[in-house]
Amino acid sequence: MALNEFLEQLQQLSTEATSAFQQADSLEAVEAIRVDFLGSKQGRLKAAQKLMGQVEREDKPVAGKQFNATKQAIEAGLEDARERLSGGSGSRSADPTFDNTLPGEAINGGYLHPITQTIEELKDIMGRLGFSVADGPEIEDAWHNFEALNIPPEHPARDPLDNFYLATAGASAASDTETPLLLRSQTSNVQIRVMESTPPPIRIISLGRVYRPDTADATHYPMFHQMEGLLIDSQVTMADLKSVLRLFATSYLGSDVHIRFRPSFFPFTEPSVEADFSWNDKWIEFGGAGMVDPNVLEAVGYDPEVLSGFAFGLGVERLCMRRHGVTDIREFYKNDVRFLHQF
Amino acid sequence: MLVSWNWLKQYVPLDMTQAELEHRLSMSGLNHEGTRGVADDLAIDLEVTSNRPDCLGHIGVAREIAVLWEQPLTIPDPGPASSAPAAAEQASVRLECPELCPRYTARVIRDVRIGPSPDWLVERLATVFRPLNPDWAPINNVVDITNFVLMESGQPLHAFDLEKIAGGQVVVRQAGKDEPFTAIDHHEYSLQPGMCVIADTEKAIALGGVMGGADSEVSSSTTCLLIESARFDPLATRNTARALNLHSPSSHRFERGVDPVGVEWASRRCCELILEIGGGELAEGIIDTGEPVAEPKPVILRLSQLKRILGIDVDPDEVNRILTALGNSTAAAGDGELAVTAPSWRRDLTREIDLVEEVARIHGYEKIPEDVGVPMAPSHRTDRDRVESIVRQTLLAASMDEAMTASMVPASWPESFTGWTEHPPISSQTPMLKGADRLRTSLLPSLLEARRVNESLANPVIELFETASIYLARDGELPVQQWTLAITSAGGYYRLKGIVEGLLAALKIDIPLEVKGVDLPLLDLSRSGELCLDERRLGFLGAVSPEGLKQFSLRNGTSLVELNLDLLAELAELVPQHQDQSAYPSISRDLNIVLAESVRWSQLEQLVQATAGKELEGVDYQETYRDSEKDGADTKRVLFSMTLRSQVGTMTGEQADQLREKVVLQIEKQLSGRLLS
Repeated sequence: MALNEFLEQLQQLSTEATSAFQQADSLEAVEAIRVDFLGSKQGRLKAAQKLMGQVEREDKPVAGKQFNATKQAIEAGLEDARERLSGGSGSRSADPTFDNTLPGEAINGGYLHPITQTIEELKDIMGRLGFSVADGPEIEDAWHNFEALNIPPEHPARDPLDNFYLATAGASAASDTETPLLLRSQTSNVQIRVMESTPPPIRIISLGRVYRPDTADATHYPMFHQMEGLLIDSQVTMADLKSVLRLFATSYLGSDVHIRFRPSFFPFTEPSVEADFSWNDKWIEFGGAGMVDPNVLEAVGYDPEVLSGFAFGLGVERLCMRRHGVTDIREFYKNDVRFLHQF
Repeated sequence: MLVSWNWLKQYVPLDMTQAELEHRLSMSGLNHEGTRGVADDLAIDLEVTSNRPDCLGHIGVAREIAVLWEQPLTIPDPGPASSAPAAAEQASVRLECPELCPRYTARVIRDVRIGPSPDWLVERLATVFRPLNPDWAPINNVVDITNFVLMESGQPLHAFDLEKIAGGQVVVRQAGKDEPFTAIDHHEYSLQPGMCVIADTEKAIALGGVMGGADSEVSSSTTCLLIESARFDPLATRNTARALNLHSPSSHRFERGVDPVGVEWASRRCCELILEIGGGELAEGIIDTGEPVAEPKPVILRLSQLKRILGIDVDPDEVNRILTALGNSTAAAGDGELAVTAPSWRRDLTREIDLVEEVARIHGYEKIPEDVGVPMAPSHRTDRDRVESIVRQTLLAASMDEAMTASMVPASWPESFTGWTEHPPISSQTPMLKGADRLRTSLLPSLLEARRVNESLANPVIELFETASIYLARDGELPVQQWTLAITSAGGYYRLKGIVEGLLAALKIDIPLEVKGVDLPLLDLSRSGELCLDERRLGFLGAVSPEGLKQFSLRNGTSLVELNLDLLAELAELVPQHQDQSAYPSISRDLNIVLAESVRWSQLEQLVQATAGKELEGVDYQETYRDSEKDGADTKRVLFSMTLRSQVGTMTGEQADQLREKVVLQIEKQLSGRLLS
């Protein structure tokens, strides 16, 4: 018998057996197939083994090797079929007790407050634009919160009803000339402290809590967070201000954004503007900005004839609310963990 | 400020569309807030910043429009006919308090007929008043005219019934203490020194700059008028209005400052209209008291400053046109310089930079480019930011959510935890939220309140931390603001202690954490401690006592930690240095020691460290259990393991056993403990 013919028969045997085992739907059927192929007396493999005797002598090693391989394949098919139908392990068949739709093991990490997340993003963007973070006190004196910022004593912004003045030890004994400390009403106090202690150029942002009396409602809270930027150098113009704000807004929103200035009035900047950015074909209020008032530069000992600079500020809560669709500012300070887990 | 479209047309042509007008005014300083139709007219709401009181009248807004559209501005030049006798013969004014009222003028009209106002006048006023007050109705021709001139020029006026002014004498003086006054709104007010009253020889008849009085108001039987046009001090007016909570269109304008020259114009304008509408005879002359109006000084504008501040060049002719059209007088002053004298109604233009802003806003901020190359600069991350970031990472990994709570708290909260200071908290003159007027001396009460809110919502897991300042008062010095971390957790004492140890590890602080007993009512007496590093106070740790839970209305037990982050930041090793590691394997030995109950783990640990020497890599506590029957009363068994490693070779079992025996010997000697075999 030619070797090729023998090998073809083995191949066919293997294919038929594998297919039969795979299609078997009961252990009885498997047993019948086993007897048919592997039966010790009448089995088809036994019959094939007998044929091997007819193969040429020099072909016998190849034929023997292939015979064994075929036998193993058929036996493996038998094992698979038995295990599949008896639910045994180690097979490729699925374990019906394993529910792969059960939830994963929770990693239970905590969540950062959305205000912190917003602040971190602002710091990150401004850091890339070359602005370093500067810190300052929340309890502030009148000089740093008002006077040096070109807000003289008679200015309405200093009204006791608009500020959290602190009661001094002997409040009644305090003289008229001594202005009490207060919780800062803006983060601009940090600008003054930095400029007082640092020679120009200055390129900082200050972030943190600020305080203004207000009745808490959906859009107001007597405490909120501000970010202010300050850049002082020898040749700083409003074009630089506009360009930095545009870089900032484009970084934050991730697409090409344009900046618009509307005139406004702040004691510490002149000219003063409200800055808007265009987003989805709408103008959105960004915050206040302007060129640092010469009086402020003089107050910290800078020469306004030599130096110029810009400042800008924005409310973190408002930005965060718009970004995440939060409609009530009080949610930020309620600390319901379900609220916190959304961000 | 509401302006009427039709009214504006009286002074300037409005050839633009409504939308164009609103947009350009917004872009040049009068922010458009909204527009409503009122009959055939439009009421346009413009936001006027506090530096621009000149725009609190139609003429001021019309001037802005005239400048923007390069249109002529037509302002009436009132010249009412007058006849003898002179005003000064029929009434007198004594100005006693020029610091509260720098200028007071009066004109007198006799034989006026009080009656309803003509339709055109009612329409004008209805457009600007009715959107604010749907019940608005005209009063009578004289009062309506004073309101018309107010809304035309921004100068408040008041008409008195001259026959109700006792003695025909007006005295402008400070109010007496608790002086009674009935305002035109028929409410009683108690006045105080520092407030300016207009009085006759008997009593106050008006509250200067704020509101007229009921007794001297113009009624249908009035025939003689005294027309007041004055300037009241901004700060005094504001204080009065605030103190009495009595705000009026007049006080709004005086607070911001009226045109000192316009005082007289408005008086003339008012009288002209009264004669025209109500008839009567105007007495000759004006009673004008107070300081003469100071002549404004010219300001030099260097044209080069425009480029320096704005970043763009503006054509000198355009600069001149803008400033002139705004009412300034300009004159060339040296090379590239302009001497600019501001008009009397623009008290805000006193410096060169003010003029730069004027040019910029009219020329248009849209002309400033938004794409100039801003030079690059390095930025530095602060150590505080690095520490805060490590702290947050550690706490997030420990399943803590970040909370944010208010800096001011009710008085009872600082009393509930006095760990950081014995000083009473700093209080604010105004509470932040209801009843919360103390600056907090600890974050813990705030977190307990946040916990209560979450418990009330039946939120199953409440693990919160916050980083914020606490405010500690000091004797004779400024208060300290301490950067602080606080945690509230349902986990117990040891869980929170583990977090503290984890923080120290993350910040690479290898100073041993010491715990001292504390007696703080908020905390359980045993399950609590004061934490120290090198004898410096790091903070407090403990389970909340039953009283504490009760005070904060908490149902379930909780533990707290509060740490001084300033100290952690100071001690943190933000740039850790590499140490060579031993190349040889470690070996460990377990020890089960019977000890007296009073022996603390820290004693045992220190003893092991001191005894085992440099080959000790770690001492790990396993557990404590008690068997008083076998070991005797007041004893415990402490199971721990030592990890040992040599720098010079593989440590053998025999070497490890020797070290263990050495440790056991010392435990026997120093702590009277014994090894359980």
